[in-house]
Amino acid sequence: MPRDVDAILVELADLLSNFQGREYSDPITAETTFFGELGFASIDAVVLGETLEATYGQTLPFGAFLSELRDRQVEDLTVGELAEFLSRSLS
Amino acid sequence: MPYVELDKLRFHYQTRGEGTDVILIHAFTSNSSIWLLTNIVDELSKEFRVTTYDLRGHGATDVPQSGYESSQMVDDLVQLQDALGLGAAYLVGHSYGGVIGMHAAYKCPDRVLGVVLSDTYFPGMAELEPNMGQAEPWGELREHLAACGREIGETVDFSRLFRTIREMDDNEFQVIKDRLGIVGARWLSSLSKLSSTSAGEEAFQPDGLGSEQLSHITQPVVALYDEFSPFHATCQFLKDHLPNVAMDVVPGAKHLAPLQNSTAFVSLVQGHLRRLAGIPTAVEPH
Repeated sequence: MPRDVDAILVELADLLSNFQGREYSDPITAETTFFGELGFASIDAVVLGETLEATYGQTLPFGAFLSELRDRQVEDLTVGELAEFLSRSLS
Repeated sequence: MPYVELDKLRFHYQTRGEGTDVILIHAFTSNSSIWLLTNIVDELSKEFRVTTYDLRGHGATDVPQSGYESSQMVDDLVQLQDALGLGAAYLVGHSYGGVIGMHAAYKCPDRVLGVVLSDTYFPGMAELEPNMGQAEPWGELREHLAACGREIGETVDFSRLFRTIREMDDNEFQVIKDRLGIVGARWLSSLSKLSSTSAGEEAFQPDGLGSEQLSHITQPVVALYDEFSPFHATCQFLKDHLPNVAMDVVPGAKHLAPLQNSTAFVSLVQGHLRRLAGIPTAVEPH
């Protein structure tokens, strides 16, 4: 059964408000973008993936998720898209 | 987070899967996220134990002032193998990662089962590529920076590039963002951290790896060159002089095969690693 997206959003917002020593004071919503608003570089996505795998205690298919976004030529990733991916992937 | 301390520097790495070791080595100014973006780790880790890491000065690894020559990068690699308990490995190197892979095969052959290199330029054979400054990666970058009034010159000079990036302001990065997208702009911006290092000079030193040394590498080598590679002469040299080499072409790519044609890149790497490791290819049912 998929995990609740809204609950995951709350967990992500908490994690991202102070990620890698970068404080983000604005509200983090489903529409917040990782690169444009949170200031991510691509290596931060790797570190975030590791953090989420440690948090949820399971390996997650980030490679397939990100390469699919690249194939669709998505410019940036929103917190909501990540939450939906996690909802589908978490067992 | 997976980090390991090597020679007083903290290196960021990831290991997945079980089996014979494969180590993926990214290019100069890149980082291990390139492997995530291509999905190669998920594919290879079905059959191999796959390790990715950020070179010194790159990604989430510490940024020392010096030590960016390929021989030092080989020392880092061997220390990583020791620290993580990895066996002799197949090394897959993109661009400068291929220099490190080949230098490891020359310097420490007992640690290397084979090398798959992708569109690699060897500083020790610079005479083969006299027009490198006009070629795609540098030429394109020069155009992007010129659009915001910055010059980085006709010849490849990464130290100058790093200094230039450090001096750029938000308005200039907005121009870069409009041209490269937000992910590309963030990548470029991140390179300013190398402006206080000697990486730009050191990574382009021959460092004892020239045509003579390359010709004596006996481990199997797979040389993947991009269809629109700027390094045709290097490709031809490897084909003519390496004792144990297989060649292949990544269609449509122009130096950044892992990003420009991920599907073909992953398929070629996987196919060659299977062949080298003696893993039978699945036969499609009739």
